Amino acid sequence: MSRHSQNGPIYEVEGLVIDLYTPTVSVRAVDGAGFYVAPGETLAIVGESGSGKTVMTLGPLGLLPEGVAVDLRGTARADGKDILSMSPTDLSRLRGGFFGVIFQDPMSALNPMLKIGPQLAEQARRFAGLSATEARKEAVSLLARSGIPDPEDRYDRYPHELSGGMLQRAMIALALAARPRVLIADEPTTALDATVQAQILALIRQIQKEDGIAVILITHDIGAVSVLADRVAVLYAGQVAEEGSAIDVLTAPVHPYTRGLLASVPDFRSDNATGTKEIPGIPPNQAQLEPGCRFADRCELVQPQCRTHRPPLVKVGAGSVPHRVACPVVIAAEGIVTHD
Amino acid sequence: MQRMFMRRVGLALLLMLAATALTFWLVTAAPGNVAALIAERAAGAGADGEMIAKIADDLGLNDPLPVRYARWLGDALTGDFGVSLRTGKPMAEEFAERIPMTLALLAGGGVLALVLSLAMGIAGAASNGGIVDRVLHGLALVGASTPNFFVAAMLVIVFSVWLGMVPTFGVAGLTSWLLPWITIALFPASVLARVVRVNLQDTMSRPFATTGFAKGLTRSAVLLREALPNIAIPYMTTFGAQFTLMIIGAIVVERVFGLNGVGAFFIEAIRFRDFIGMQAILTLFVVFFVSINLLVDVLAMLADPRLRRPRKA
Ligand SMILES: Nc1ncnc2c1ncn2[C@@H]1O[C@H](COP(=O)(O)OP(=O)(O)OP(=O)(O)O)[C@@H](O)[C@H]1O
Ligand code: SF4
Ligand SMILES: [Mg+2]
Repeated sequence: MSRHSQNGPIYEVEGLVIDLYTPTVSVRAVDGAGFYVAPGETLAIVGESGSGKTVMTLGPLGLLPEGVAVDLRGTARADGKDILSMSPTDLSRLRGGFFGVIFQDPMSALNPMLKIGPQLAEQARRFAGLSATEARKEAVSLLARSGIPDPEDRYDRYPHELSGGMLQRAMIALALAARPRVLIADEPTTALDATVQAQILALIRQIQKEDGIAVILITHDIGAVSVLADRVAVLYAGQVAEEGSAIDVLTAPVHPYTRGLLASVPDFRSDNATGTKEIPGIPPNQAQLEPGCRFADRCELVQPQCRTHRPPLVKVGAGSVPHRVACPVVIAAEGIVTHD
Repeated sequence: MQRMFMRRVGLALLLMLAATALTFWLVTAAPGNVAALIAERAAGAGADGEMIAKIADDLGLNDPLPVRYARWLGDALTGDFGVSLRTGKPMAEEFAERIPMTLALLAGGGVLALVLSLAMGIAGAASNGGIVDRVLHGLALVGASTPNFFVAAMLVIVFSVWLGMVPTFGVAGLTSWLLPWITIALFPASVLARVVRVNLQDTMSRPFATTGFAKGLTRSAVLLREALPNIAIPYMTTFGAQFTLMIIGAIVVERVFGLNGVGAFFIEAIRFRDFIGMQAILTLFVVFFVSINLLVDVLAMLADPRLRRPRKA
């Protein structure tokens, strides 16, 4: 089926550049970034608001909102197939069947005029090849599996008749209805109550375990990363600052931005439990492209060459999961062994 | 929902009452003396003051305004709208002859406006800034800024005179309705096409449209199945407003195309200072306005699941 081995990437993006144009602004939202995710693996993508997490992940699938002109370059492959050269119809089928997407705010992401259940059934019919009656049954069991009580009743409900937490469960069920191979969850808990957040994350983890699908979790929640993620990519101003196994990135971060990000999280590491430290300054204006490291203006370790040369992503350490960092200054200063 | 519905109906009845009272007052306050007019019609130049006074007394014209309105209302509720001063026929009879004509004009025009506006708006949104979108935008602007008598004249010249295709005057089969229908539908169709286009565009950039794409729908499927249901409510409301305005258009269109509807009668009633006729037609207009708006309100309520099925606490 796949040209890749069991553990090869199922969705991979390389050298992605995405420029967005609106009548008033043009922004380089993604600037030469990339990532990959393998079946059965959870990749967390973290970074500040506006760093390009959503655009990088959903942009290659053509899932950016209408009204923005998108100029996209680079490579993106799903199951080895080039996405960017696909016909619109093929890409539509891929979006529906191969990928499942959960959005941030289920209240606005579900169509207020459409009942929940029939949408699930239709996905199951179109992409999993079920008959109408099978699809209905499948939809009800998907709702049940997503933790929605009384799924028979909820089948015929409209979004406004469900609470936010229940809606996000319905959204998850909808994303799963076509039996996707890659589940993308874009800040799936940000819009929800704290008590519901943990439940939703647990549900995603359970599904991931049971189905062995690849999960991409876009989040600000470092706690969620530490619980769910196998690998982490840290995005800064449209570029990957650091990526690697969750253990490496969370316990032995190298890039000054990653270190700052983790230090700003309350209670994440015991030595920071008493006081959290925000990274001073603001992200660069992505409408104005300057050479060099995008983090230079906020970096305490900045050197003159940081402003002239874009730091390459370099493999550090010898772990089986590649750990890559885009900061030659720290690598040199701390004598970190590189493997490129 | 039911309470909301009852409130709307109550409000509609109140509105009709207030509007008919207002028109009654305006019509009676208009210059011209009904009794004098009747006397003049009956006795020509020989009508004298005594005769006029007697007629006024017989008709109860000397009673206070509220009494006269109450009497008029009582009669109207039984279907008696008085006798036209111009034709000498009971208004109920005039209605029976003319309302079907006007209804046919409005219904055909309404259907045409509906079909045209949806087709133009959806085609524009599907083209999304392309050549079709721009041409349709231009057409809608022209359609919304051309007065209907001008449209009528152009249509008659092109189709009847140049091409000899359809009769220009009176009713002779379905084809003779085409030009009146097009004339009366052009303005509302143009306005509504913009409503469809603009609302579709807005809806297509909402998050649930992105979900539609994520479900694997093509753009046209998202447009028709996800976005279109969401513009139903603004569309219905604007359609209702445009449809009620078509009765004003009917006054001109009926005259131009020689249709004997209530619109044409209204013009004559004004010219002949047929106060009885005017009041009857204005009442008809009020009933039409209020009931169409009520109907649209109720339909829009039914079309919105959030109103149809309010969330249980
Ligand atoms: N619809 C849009 N119109 C204009 N610019 C946009 C749009 N969406 C994103 N951008 C720009 O693209 C860049 C990346 O945005 P993106 O939404 O990917 O960030 P993000 O990391 O997902 O942030 P958040 O955590 O807030 O979701 C930002 O600079 C943003 O201003
Ligand atoms: S490359 Fe320079 S500016 Fe960028 S993070 Fe490293 S030290 Fe800081
Ligand atoms: Mg985002």
